[in-house]
Amino acid sequence: MEKTLRLKAKELLESGEVKVVIGYGWNRSKTRTTPVFITDPADVDTLVWNPLCVNNLSLYLTRKYKEIKALGRPAIVAKGCDIRNIVVLITEGQFKREDVFIIGMTCNGTVYKQDLWKGELTPNIMPTKCHNCDVRNPHVTDFVVGEKSTFTPPEVPTGMVYDKVKDLDSKSQSERWAFWVKEFSRCVKCYACRQVCPLCYCERCITEKNMPQWIETSAHPRGNLSWNLTRAMHLVGRCTFCGECERSCPVNIPLNLINQKMIGVVKEAFDFKSGYDEKTHPPMIVFSPDDKENFIK
Amino acid sequence: MADKILKKADLGKLIESVTGKGGRFVAPTTDSRQIVFKKVKSAEEIATDYILARNSFKEFLFPQTEVVAEFTLGKDTVDMRGVEVHAPQTVIFGARPCEAASLKGMHALFTWDFIDEFYTKREDNTVVVTVGCTKADDACFCTTVNLSPASTEGADVYLREAGESYTVEAITDKGKKFVEAHAAVFGSGSVKADPLVMPEKIANIDLAKVSERLKDKTHYDDKVWPKLTRKCIGCGACTFVCPTCRCFDIVDEGTAFEGERRKNWDSCQYDTFTLHASGHNPREHQHQRWRNRFMCKFNFFPEKFSGKGCVGCGRCVRVCPVRLDITEVMEEFSK
Amino acid sequence: MSGHTEHSAPTGGYEPKIMAFVCNWCTYAGADLAGTSRMEYRPNVRIIKLPCTGRIDPLFIIKAFENGADGVLVSGCHPGDCHYTTGNYHARRRWIGFKHLMEFAGIDMRRLHFSWVSASEAIKWVDLINKVTDEIKALGPFMEYKGLKATEAEQG
Ligand code: SF4
Ligand code: SF4
Ligand code: SF4
Ligand code: SF4
Ligand code: SF4
Ligand code: FES
Repeated sequence: MEKTLRLKAKELLESGEVKVVIGYGWNRSKTRTTPVFITDPADVDTLVWNPLCVNNLSLYLTRKYKEIKALGRPAIVAKGCDIRNIVVLITEGQFKREDVFIIGMTCNGTVYKQDLWKGELTPNIMPTKCHNCDVRNPHVTDFVVGEKSTFTPPEVPTGMVYDKVKDLDSKSQSERWAFWVKEFSRCVKCYACRQVCPLCYCERCITEKNMPQWIETSAHPRGNLSWNLTRAMHLVGRCTFCGECERSCPVNIPLNLINQKMIGVVKEAFDFKSGYDEKTHPPMIVFSPDDKENFIK
Repeated sequence: MADKILKKADLGKLIESVTGKGGRFVAPTTDSRQIVFKKVKSAEEIATDYILARNSFKEFLFPQTEVVAEFTLGKDTVDMRGVEVHAPQTVIFGARPCEAASLKGMHALFTWDFIDEFYTKREDNTVVVTVGCTKADDACFCTTVNLSPASTEGADVYLREAGESYTVEAITDKGKKFVEAHAAVFGSGSVKADPLVMPEKIANIDLAKVSERLKDKTHYDDKVWPKLTRKCIGCGACTFVCPTCRCFDIVDEGTAFEGERRKNWDSCQYDTFTLHASGHNPREHQHQRWRNRFMCKFNFFPEKFSGKGCVGCGRCVRVCPVRLDITEVMEEFSK
Repeated sequence: MSGHTEHSAPTGGYEPKIMAFVCNWCTYAGADLAGTSRMEYRPNVRIIKLPCTGRIDPLFIIKAFENGADGVLVSGCHPGDCHYTTGNYHARRRWIGFKHLMEFAGIDMRRLHFSWVSASEAIKWVDLINKVTDEIKALGPFMEYKGLKATEAEQG
């Protein structure tokens, strides 16, 4: 696969069709992958593809990365799940479909965190998203690398995240409160979750607005709660469950739980799953007069 | 000759001896699938098999958020009140030699043009007990920055694993007093210390060369910065786990009537760090922010305070979501 | 409000503080009608008027709890009646998300109410406020939220 990928990258750069290829490369000791930006066709051999390619590179397509934008039209190496984020970005008018060349990678799963890699991809080190993935054959692409995957996701989504959401749902309100206060109290307000999220592309995040100060910047349980709830709310109907936020959180806050919970709510209430169709508007910017609820009195 | 030792089985007694006197005992423990420095109450909580804790112990000297004053707002008045520094007697147990070496620089900074009592009072009441490493991973690079698991810089007491015991070496006066104060817990005996691990020095890095090259400010606009660090997403996680990063922000939090002034960790990796009120940002791009962090570690800080800007603990490398490895930049600047 | 210092439950006759975020055109007018008609109802609610429910950011609600509210009420025009035609349809979508999020986070949903009250529904408004106030009064102060900072002090 790597060979096809490199050839394609070379061809794209040489023809001038794209000016930069955003992909994965090795770190010095070849133990971890890291994002690379190839501008010179001579460097395409830097590109690699393996189960350590966890990062969702679509982040670099967002408006925060002016310098990357300045390099010129990009091609991006993307897994199906990353492409879902690209799709959301397109539906939100961040750029047009033709502004990016998508090199879709057929995928058999990645590791949850790179540190877990022991040389072999086993189900227990794969994130929940991979076990339920319906985009192993990437769905919106300009070029596909790799053999068709025959994997079919389970009818009913399964895995740790779903189990935990169910478990929390079945608990009492005060137990849920205690759970989240404990989890969020560890938050150090580094905002890595936001920085790594391709959908948190605001140039000035609400936490950085201080006139008035909407969210207390101090890392104490009250400020942390409002931060984490607000971010979750801003991702409703948009989050694709790529898992980057949880992966990047230095204190292991289970952000996937809250995101997956809200994905379920959106599915149930609006019959919508984000990141599949670049022509459908995301649910939170549209409405239907027939929206159902039973709690507004 | 019999040496001072601490039997691992006696750790519980040491904790009791410290907490019995009203102090807090901080050690690496498991929390949410990570090893972290936390207050512990019993020996069972202390992790034994770890390389480094996820966080550096700096948060016990320099908390991520602390109240430094309180205020009440009247119609035309502001009533501002200072608060007592919360500085309990603290023992940091199981720190690694690399991170302890950060303390000299921290002290220099917090006593530079102003004595920050919120730091110094805690520092006075803190005893740092390091344990020489018998394990390392591929992110450890202490030896590359002229430290090693055998370094005692910054430690008050230096321990080494020795089977079921630790060998004990009091380094500073504070350390000696600590060992005396808890004399009943320490024993003597002759044990053989387990071998220390020595991470391999990274071949292509020459620290002197790095600082030499950084002195010449023409590198500022060098293309090498965006090339190496464009992938940085500015999350600041590296600065939060770093034992020598020490930037903070002062914020007022409260209602229209009352509130508190807080000192919160800040990070040079945030775009708001240097954002002017006018909207101008002298460090507009992420690579410039990254350059600042690198400069801070290997140029500004060592020059100004002769303390170590980077102790090679490798935390930033481990935590980085895009695996931006500071040693790869050091390598580039050793050329 | 002194949410920043209140860490212990008040003693004596407890009266809850309830924040109401309402739209200008329907619910506010409804509340106004209740007032001009001299209807009596519980005095615990502080009303904040906004142009439209579409302007009610969920953050307002979080902020209200943060600053010491024991309960929050959000109300606007009935679907189809929004002065700006669609503001409340958008708001309704957002509330559906927000309500589930708050529930998942473990907020006691008896402290957070949503309603549609039109300009002529003074009686509905009065009944609603009385009911909500009594319910929240019975629950007592929202100590879970007010206690959040105290949690921090223990860690130090
Ligand atoms: S979710 Fe699907 S496309 Fe994404 S890494 Fe897992 S298997 Fe691959
Ligand atoms: S990444 Fe984790 S610790 Fe950092 S702000 Fe987000 S939730 Fe908090
Ligand atoms: S949390 Fe909200 S405001 Fe902040 S960057 Fe994300 S979407 Fe934007
Ligand atoms: S919120 Fe997290 S899981 Fe959802 S899109 Fe953003 S980074 Fe991915
Ligand atoms: S942890 Fe990595 S991505 Fe985050 S600010 Fe530091 S170098 Fe940049
Ligand atoms: S004006 Fe009342 S809801 Fe829009």
